[in-house]
Amino acid sequence: MALRRVDVGPVAAFADGEVRRVEVEGRGLAIVRQGDAWYALRDVCPHQGARLSDGRVGGTALARHPGDEIVLGRAGEILSCPWHGWEYDVRTGRSLCEPEKVRVRTYPVLVEDSRVLVEMD
Amino acid sequence: MSQTEYAVQVASSADVSLIDCDVHNYPNSIDDLMPYLSARWQAYVRQSGFSGPPGPTYPKGFAQAARRDAWPPSGLRPGGDPDFARTQLLDAWDIDIAVLNPLYGMTALHNLDFANALMRAVNEWTAHAWLDHDPRWRGSIVVNASDPAAAAEEIKRAAADSRFVQVLLLVRSSAPYGKRQFRPIFAAACEVGLPVGIHFGGSGQPITACGWPSYYIEDHTAMSQAFEAQVVSLVCEGVFCEFPELRVALVEGGFAWLPGLMWRLDKNYRGLRSEVPWLKKRPSEYIREHCRATTQPMEEPDDPQHLLQIIDMIGGEDFLMFATDYPHWDFDSPARALPPAIDGAMRRGIMVDNAEAFYGFAAR
Repeated sequence: MALRRVDVGPVAAFADGEVRRVEVEGRGLAIVRQGDAWYALRDVCPHQGARLSDGRVGGTALARHPGDEIVLGRAGEILSCPWHGWEYDVRTGRSLCEPEKVRVRTYPVLVEDSRVLVEMD
Repeated sequence: MSQTEYAVQVASSADVSLIDCDVHNYPNSIDDLMPYLSARWQAYVRQSGFSGPPGPTYPKGFAQAARRDAWPPSGLRPGGDPDFARTQLLDAWDIDIAVLNPLYGMTALHNLDFANALMRAVNEWTAHAWLDHDPRWRGSIVVNASDPAAAAEEIKRAAADSRFVQVLLLVRSSAPYGKRQFRPIFAAACEVGLPVGIHFGGSGQPITACGWPSYYIEDHTAMSQAFEAQVVSLVCEGVFCEFPELRVALVEGGFAWLPGLMWRLDKNYRGLRSEVPWLKKRPSEYIREHCRATTQPMEEPDDPQHLLQIIDMIGGEDFLMFATDYPHWDFDSPARALPPAIDGAMRRGIMVDNAEAFYGFAAR
């Protein structure tokens, strides 16, 4: 099926560093904006179906070894589910815990003439 | 570390038909340990009348928790007569290798120096009274978990004798073993290349998380709670991340609880990973990779097929290692403990191969 570009709204409608739900023909999308970087994920957590757009965009705790200082890293790259806290990489849709097994579908996003366009099939 | 070479009677793995991963040897009294205590501690024992660490607060189903027929004609206590144990266990069941786990509760003593002296005494006594007695015995190094630094030193000392094949901890500890205070014990075990066995019993805390139950039947049944707590702690605190070579045997804790624990822990990991970011894979994968469990006391579902399902759920045919728990009353018979549904390679694995691989018997 050929890809098409779906206009989901003006750039100004999306706050920097946050996630917002849009609907395209009944399909929910979680749109994440990080400055000039844009991400779109299917707005359904594969675990139990919560809307990821009700979750939080932020970083995640990182430590290489037990006892190391735990730091907050990957700022803005992680979307966490509002229900059970599962974490997803907004760039790939892959979960942090089981990247090969648990993932959310992602869609390419581009901006033209201050409009946000999502490539969908 | 150089190890004392020791002639093992079994020539090759093909000759081994049965390995018993949990047998108990007991000093008959403090007198058995006196030769291994310094003059100062000998005097202390005589002066104080010390006869041994505190015993169980639950009277057991049988005296000394022993099979009625395990009282030696010599008048010694069950597990206290190596000749009788050889006849009644090793010879009677044609056991090739038996791992001795002395349950000596020195960790409960508040005087660390005295407890450490007893720790060393028990290990030296095991070596001389038991390991010298028959080449089929293997030893576990008892350690005083209340003094991890001293425990680590003892592990390095005792492991020079290659007949000691694991470090022994009791499951009911004063704190979960994943806590950082216990790291020296695991570091030492890895340094000398020995696994750590965590065995039923101990004295640090009530057996249940809601306090002391009334009866031994509750104590015995609920012991799996303590094993669950230790496994969760070891994984979440990152002990297996810090010591990738560490291997842990869960001894006399059962195993049917493992699938549920793995599922619960994996599920929580997906939502709560950020608390324990050193974990690089699912908790169940650490458990499967680093842990093994002994069989006794075998869980005995009405439908033996359910046992096969449990083993399948744990996810590794190499996970279980057979144990009798001789001379205790809940002894599992090598002939009857495993249902016929466990056969072929799986049975051989449980009775021989898994322990051989875990303890490295084939290489010794």
